[in-house]
Amino acid sequence: MNRILIVLTLGLLFACGGKEEPKEEGVFPYPIQQTMLDNGLNVVTVPFNSPGIAAFYIVVRVGSRNEIEEGKTGFAHFFEHMMFRGTDKYPKEKYGEVLKSIGAAANANTWFDRTVYHMTGNAEMLDKMFELEADRFMNLNYSEADFKVEAGAVKGEYTKNFSSPYMKLYEKTYNTAFTEHTYSHTTIGFWEDVVDMPNQYEYSLQFFDRWYRPEYCTIIVVGDVTQEKVNTLAREYFGEWEPGSYTQQIPVEPEQTETRYAHIQEENFPPVLSLNYKGVAYSVENLDMAALDVIGTLAFSERSPIYKKLVEEERIVRELSAGGYNTVDPGLWSVDAVLVKKEDLTKVKNEIVSVLEKLKTEPVDSLTLAQTKSHLKYGYAMTLDNPDAIANSLAWFTWLTGDPADVNPGYANYDKVTPEIIMEVANKYLVDDKLTVATISPDEQVEVIEELNFDR
Amino acid sequence: MNRLFILITFLTSSAVFAQDVIELPSSSTKVIVKLAFKNGSMCDPVGKEGLTNLTASLIAETGSDQYTKSEINDLLYPMAANYSSFTDKEMTTFTFAVHSDFLEEFYDIIRGVILNPSFAQSDFERIKSNLEVYVKEIIKANSDEDFSKMALEEQLFEGTRYAHMKEGTISGLASITREDVVAHYKKYFTSKNVLIGIAGKYDQRFLDKIKSDINQLPGQMPDLPKLGKVEMPDGIEVQLIPKPNNLGTAIYTGYPIDIDRSSPDWPAMLVVNSYLGEHRKSYSKLYKLIREQRSMNYGDYTYIEWYEAGGNNQLPLTGFPRSQNYFAIWIRPVQTAISLTSQYPELAGIKIGHAHFAMRMALNEVERVKKEGLTKEEFDLTRQFLMSYMNLFVQTPGKQLGFLMDSKFYGMENYISKMTNAISKLTLEDVNKAAAKYLQVDNMYITMITDQAEAQPLKQSLLTNAVSPMSYSNVVRESLGEEIFELDKKVESYSMNVKKVEILEPKVLFK
Repeated sequence: MNRILIVLTLGLLFACGGKEEPKEEGVFPYPIQQTMLDNGLNVVTVPFNSPGIAAFYIVVRVGSRNEIEEGKTGFAHFFEHMMFRGTDKYPKEKYGEVLKSIGAAANANTWFDRTVYHMTGNAEMLDKMFELEADRFMNLNYSEADFKVEAGAVKGEYTKNFSSPYMKLYEKTYNTAFTEHTYSHTTIGFWEDVVDMPNQYEYSLQFFDRWYRPEYCTIIVVGDVTQEKVNTLAREYFGEWEPGSYTQQIPVEPEQTETRYAHIQEENFPPVLSLNYKGVAYSVENLDMAALDVIGTLAFSERSPIYKKLVEEERIVRELSAGGYNTVDPGLWSVDAVLVKKEDLTKVKNEIVSVLEKLKTEPVDSLTLAQTKSHLKYGYAMTLDNPDAIANSLAWFTWLTGDPADVNPGYANYDKVTPEIIMEVANKYLVDDKLTVATISPDEQVEVIEELNFDR
Repeated sequence: MNRLFILITFLTSSAVFAQDVIELPSSSTKVIVKLAFKNGSMCDPVGKEGLTNLTASLIAETGSDQYTKSEINDLLYPMAANYSSFTDKEMTTFTFAVHSDFLEEFYDIIRGVILNPSFAQSDFERIKSNLEVYVKEIIKANSDEDFSKMALEEQLFEGTRYAHMKEGTISGLASITREDVVAHYKKYFTSKNVLIGIAGKYDQRFLDKIKSDINQLPGQMPDLPKLGKVEMPDGIEVQLIPKPNNLGTAIYTGYPIDIDRSSPDWPAMLVVNSYLGEHRKSYSKLYKLIREQRSMNYGDYTYIEWYEAGGNNQLPLTGFPRSQNYFAIWIRPVQTAISLTSQYPELAGIKIGHAHFAMRMALNEVERVKKEGLTKEEFDLTRQFLMSYMNLFVQTPGKQLGFLMDSKFYGMENYISKMTNAISKLTLEDVNKAAAKYLQVDNMYITMITDQAEAQPLKQSLLTNAVSPMSYSNVVRESLGEEIFELDKKVESYSMNVKKVEILEPKVLFK
């Protein structure tokens, strides 16, 4: 079968390492050039053929996961907003003007495990990009008045997002599934903490002092650049940045021992059934997450028998998908279904559970497994066609493991997943005791729980 | 000069085939093929609104004379190849993406989908049902921002072929049969109204095969319906759409303008628009006034053409060329009274939140720019920004292809390079003349998705031009400088030429 041959040779097909720096064979087709500065700042360069354009990323390994203190949910994200509020050298007005003059696409975003600042623009402006970023990362200085005013923008962001029933369900699901660990709150934080943000000026200074330090940051530059130039600029602008000393203990989530429920009652909206299982912390050292990725694609994609049955033939489900976010600590792995009518919630639940049970007891066939591995790798390879996407992809591995070069072993792990490992992983994670059932329907929660009947 | 394009050789189609072709050959192993049909939702027959989009969606979701959709999914799975349709008002684009390892194999599987789609009854019913629930429920519940935009277009384009959203109307979709789809496909997806685009690693033989196949589509040039005259409203007409317990009011406004990408004034208006409200940029005027200085919402932008999926994208997509544009202001949700009073005891008793004030602030600024124009420094900076920034629109081969294909619609070769060149030659006078000509604040449509309890007081406030002082919380008020309050004082009684305010329940929209 030619498909299998293709999977076996895939590593070679995508490998075309740079002459100067032999690279490991793998799915990522460009050399990843890393230099650790004396202060602990990792500087990553990926030369890429994008004439005149470069993407400049700074990954800070702080996100809502690190918000362990009472009343401080949403703070990492709020702080991301404050990073645009100026320094002594570039007060906010001037910062805006200089940023505009660069003509770049610049923004930032925060999530569970990280905050990412990105700027894609003219490669000839790289010097200015370094200067601006180093200045605010090392010398941020906003007034208390600006701090208080910025909180309203976060409320605006919350307001725009949470008119959606899907967002309400997302918030409630994580809040239900996690009781101790900080994944219990979404990145934007609890509403009451967002409202209280203007009163947290002193804490914000502490936050900056703790996290905006070289040991928590990685610079990634991709595009029409050389490592020599990037390193020179990094040393020039970030060389004097002093490391910090803060460390913390993230609360460990206790073992879940019973099925939990999260429900949004919503009329005039398609019913939703989402089965969320406690997953695994991302690591290239063990294959559990790779196996869960394979399961999500193999068992629930358009190619899967359940998709064909429920979506195409019986047409009782509008959308069906499965997968988990790669996270630093164990997150959730989910099967999500959007239904045509609420009366089918139980039937759909039974169909999904039956697929999961089969995965636990019967080995998947080797052809489907080989095709799934091919699907995952080719799907990834096709995203790598511009500096921004490449930098973004390496940012993932940077915040997950600290090493962007883990992209290759990370994807190579898919090749190691066997039918036996899939059975083991399904038995280990996809069990009722680790499950949070999340639903949207016009009915009340108690009716939905009764209907779904997980305990009996 | 757009530097991305320097290394790319442009080839024009040999004259063997009738179709226009845009080629971007490169060593990229990701091959993109685009087929752009000049039809779009304006070709939907009256009473069957949604037919073009449904037809296109179904082509992407049905089988061929050779394979069922399910079989196609199986065959494409190991390749991770994908294809999809996108319909706008005047164009439908199919985009195919595949790794060059599988190019020929992929094409042999999907060519029948375009040439001989099966339009299986079960696929038809599935896709139609999904579109119906979108129009009936999802658009009204999932994002107030998207809802406000679709509602605004329905009002602004009333009586023209642009009025209904591309997904259709509830009654239009209900009346569409599979036979309608088949007939529409034959009439509007022909070899004469298609533009082929291809980028990546492919050879001439492969392209010739596509061209030859596309020539097998019906050969007539379809009659495209006339858009109809888009009227400027007399005064400001507001529609308020209430929803229970809404924390925010989502605002979108528009009035028709008679320019498009090919118009001489377009480059100047790009500068005006960027200065006032460049999409998702923090250094534009409305953003500074409403978000940065007053903390009222997440962002505030202006547009001189449709911006597809603006809530999700920071850089523009392609495939929505339009011959009729409107000037729009997008004010992202501002706090409603129930939200503010629940947070701040000092605001107890207010009946309307920030919507009226935010609207006034935006109009006051638009009027100021119309009258005063940009300063030389503002002009220089904005121009410098755009000349670099627009090159970022075409970072991927797929985007380059999309922009070149859209350029053809406007009779241009390369929109991006033409604009960056034209902007470099603009003078301050050109820009300020354009601002004076196209900006105005007297006549427009405004849509606000707001809280149920707020709709009636807000209606009264708008209709009577009542003073709407900004209701700051104490913590924000004590942090603001005098210059903020000075402008607020002026803005709170800014006179809006409101002639009509209607409160419309969500269920009456998109019928």
